[in-house]
Formats: sequence, C-alpha cells, structure tokens
Amino acid sequence: MTPAISIQNLKKSYDDTVALKGINLTIGDGEFFGLLGPNGAGKTTTINILTGLVRKNEGSAEVFGKDTVSDYRFTRSQMGISAQEFTQDWFFPLDKLLFFQAGYYGIPKNEAKEKVDELLLRLGLEEKRSSRLRQLSGGMKRRFQIAKALVHDPKILILDEPTAGVDVELRHELWQYFSELHKAGKTILLTTHYIEEAEKLCDKVAIIDKGNVIKEGTPKELTGQLGHAGITINISDTDVDLNASLTDFTFTYAEGRLHFTVQDPEEALPIIINKLTQIGCHIQRVETTKSSLEDVFLSLTGKGINE
Amino acid sequence: MNWVGLWTLTAREVGRFFSVYRQTVIPGLTSSILYILIFGFTLEKRISTIDGIPYTLFIIPGLIMMNTLTNASSNSASSMLQMKLLGQLPDLLQAPLSSFEISLAYIIGGMVRGTVNGILILLVGVGLSGMPVVDPVATIGFIMLVSWAFSSIGLLLGQLAETWDQLATMQNFFLTPLSFLGGIFYSIKMLPEWAQEASFFNPIYYMINGLRYTILGVADSEPNTSLIVAIFMTIGFTVAAILLMESGKKIKQ
Repeated sequence: MTPAISIQNLKKSYDDTVALKGINLTIGDGEFFGLLGPNGAGKTTTINILTGLVRKNEGSAEVFGKDTVSDYRFTRSQMGISAQEFTQDWFFPLDKLLFFQAGYYGIPKNEAKEKVDELLLRLGLEEKRSSRLRQLSGGMKRRFQIAKALVHDPKILILDEPTAGVDVELRHELWQYFSELHKAGKTILLTTHYIEEAEKLCDKVAIIDKGNVIKEGTPKELTGQLGHAGITINISDTDVDLNASLTDFTFTYAEGRLHFTVQDPEEALPIIINKLTQIGCHIQRVETTKSSLEDVFLSLTGKGINE
Repeated sequence: MNWVGLWTLTAREVGRFFSVYRQTVIPGLTSSILYILIFGFTLEKRISTIDGIPYTLFIIPGLIMMNTLTNASSNSASSMLQMKLLGQLPDLLQAPLSSFEISLAYIIGGMVRGTVNGILILLVGVGLSGMPVVDPVATIGFIMLVSWAFSSIGLLLGQLAETWDQLATMQNFFLTPLSFLGGIFYSIKMLPEWAQEASFFNPIYYMINGLRYTILGVADSEPNTSLIVAIFMTIGFTVAAILLMESGKKIKQ
C-alpha cells in the first residue's frame, strides 16, 4: 500500500546551519504519527518542505506516491496544515476566512458551506463566526487554526504544536477531537512538545534531534526497548547547581520537579536521595514510574524536550 | 489551472480594499477634488490654456493617472507585505495554487482598485468642470492597462520589501516624484530643453499623456508611443512579478 507520506534522505541547510541531515520517514495511510524533538531539531523544516514553504537541498518527499514539487497540486490538496504560529487578519470575519481557505483548494463557497458550518460548530466557534481574529482568545485562535486545516477535508492532517498555549481542558477536548478524526480515517502527523500528547495519541513516533531521526517506533516499542524507568522527585526550590551535583544521572529540572531516567530505580533511588539531601534539597515527594516516552527522549537526546 | 482558487484570491483582494474604502478610495477622490478646485480654478486665472485646453481640464487626466497608478501599485504592494507580516502567506503557498495564479490574483486586485479610483476621479472631473471625454472606451481601456502595469510593479515591490518603511521609501522617493514630474500640472513644452529631454525617460510621462490624449485629444507625447510604453511595461512587469514569485525569493526559504 502506498504510504501517506514518504521522506527519503531529506537534507536542508540555511546558510551555515544544517537543519536536516538526511531524514527518512514513512507514514502509513491512516496512521497517527508523532514527530518529537527539541526546538531546532528540524520538525517544522520537515513539515514545511512537505507543504512547499521550504525548498529542500536533497532527497525526496512524497505524498501518496506523488512528488511534493512536481505534483504539488495533488500533494497539497491532500494535506491540511495547522501551523504553530497564529495567522492574523484585519479585514474578514472567521466564516469568510474559512470560505477563502476552501476556495484556495478549489472548493467553491456553496460546496464549502456545510463543512464550514460543521467545523465552526464542532470547534465551538459558531457564536464567533462573524468576529474578527483579533477578537478571539488564544484558545479560540488555536481552534480556528485547526478548522482552517480541515475545511477542504484533507486526507492528511498536519498538526504543528496544536495544543501549545492552550489550557488543560481545551487540550483534552482537542485530543478527543484528534482521536475522532483518526478513527474516521485521517492520517495525522503531529509535532508536539507535550510528550504525554504523543504517548496518548500516536500509533508511531519518531524522535528527531539535530536534523536526524534517532529513533522510530510505537511508543510501546520504544519504551520497551530501552527498559528505562523514571523517578520524579519534587523538591523545594533551590539555588544549588543541580547539574554539577548530579553528574552521574540523566535528568530534567523545571519548577521544583526533577525527573530522572534510570536503568534500575531500586539501585538509583537511594543514591539520588542521598545526593539531594547532601546538597541541602528538601524533598517533598518521590514517585517512580515505568519507562515513558519522556524517559526515552531524555536518554536518547540527553535533554528534555523543552530545552 | 485552479480557477476557483484564482477567483477566491482575486475576490479576497478586491474585497479587502473595498472593506476599507475610507483608506483606499475616498482619499484619492478628496485630494483630486481639492487639486481641481485649488490648483485648477485658481491657477486658471494665470494660465488660461495649454494647447488650447483650459487649465482645469488640462490637469484632470494627470490627476486621474496619478491616483490610478498610486492606488494600483499600493494595493498589491501593501497586500503582499501585509500577508507576509501577518503570517497569512503560508496559507497561499501551501495551497494548490501556482505562482502564476497567485500573482494574477494580486495583479487583478490592484488593477481593479486603480481602475475604480481612476474612473471615479474621471466622473468627478466631468461633474466639476463639464469636461468632455473624446474617447470614453479608450480612456477606460488605458486606465485599466496602466493599472495592470503598476499593480505588477506593486507586486514586485511587495515581494521584495520586508518592512513598511521600505515600501514607503519606494513610493515616496520614486512613484510620487515621477508622477509630479510626468506633467500632471504642466506641458513639458513649458520646460527648458534639458528638462524636456529628461522627461522622455520618465515612463509616467507617457502614461499621463496617453490618458490626456484619450480624454482631451491633445498630448505632448505621440499617442502610439504612450500605448507602446504602457503595453511594454504591462508585459515586462507582469512577467517579472510572476518570475519573482516563482523564484520564491523573500517569500520562501
């Protein structure tokens, strides 16, 4: 079966910076695929090459077996993109912007009307259909981005950080919606900083760092292969240089939460607690978990996804 | 050809400037009325006729042309730059639209704005001064042709510009001076010889005189020369704007 997206040896440089060093990815038709990586890893460049915003230096990118450059009309009509950055517009109301978006994909207004109404209703924007984008909250703008990506009913939905900056409630609502779309047969390519999001939604993930795909598989495969476990310790805020004190461990630290990735938690936990106590950290809570995607990411890249 | 896409983007471009008509239509109309009332009717006491044409009537084709080309070029230029700065351009570049279709929609949008402004000022001129129009069809045709040419120039500038300041510089230091020096308010026969020769290198001189010929039946330049310059500019800048769009320079990475 022809894959929905096939990327072979994709390379891209910006002046002196090498963004992609020869990426290979295959995303099956109907798959929910997550692309994980820290900032600057090459996720958005990969997406932008697929959609035609960035020109590749080498390699190939295909959508349903067609080249994204020579067969761009076909490949672009198959994809809907919810970009990370919000679009702004000063002139037109939301429903008109959606009609324009459908029109760019060759769908006249009378044919797009049903879909526009359905999306505005489903994404909770019906009451705002006559509002301008500047009048929307951040969460509403995010929902509008998703409506815009879906208005031409694409087979492939590309979600670039679709829940960035939204509250927990909306994030869960969007996850529910993405799952529904996936069940309805859409292929979804997701990039995210929320590893939990990828773990919860994706059939398959690829971890990308410094322009290379360093690991690919189902979340279960990846966590199983590494056999790592996680230790989460909440400590009172500290000025101590944790990196200098915990040199033997791979960990992330943010807002009082330390997360360690270890091979054997029973062996590592007493040592970690001992070290933290020695440097004067007040331990509030300790939790050990089975290996998660976050642990896999941490052990492969040596850093947290937000670093 | 993505006809629906082309139509949609064109409708958006036209709808955009009509939605802010106070900024895009009214100012040109107001300033032209003031020019006709202040420059025309007051200076007519000192400069009664040029080539046998009352001074007020003489300046109207120039005013029409200045507004036509300013509006046509600023529409496509500002719309393109706005799309870049507001993050809307990816919506177009990721859609199944060719560079040709995108360029054409922008150019038609600017052409419509230039033509609408030109025709409105023509009507105001006729209303205020009772000016007869020798060949109305040729007048409207010439306004549309020049609008197309300058809309293409605007699209080129809009693609190249990265800030509003750059765009304003191009408008203020090139288009406006060339328009005034193209003979809106005077016949180049009133200039010293060196200035007359310099005017021959100003394309806007041919635009103003071409239109003056279609409206008043007199002009400094040969009517055919004006038409040929307008056609060459239209073809040349249209091709250049499309090729720049296709190259992706300043709009793609």
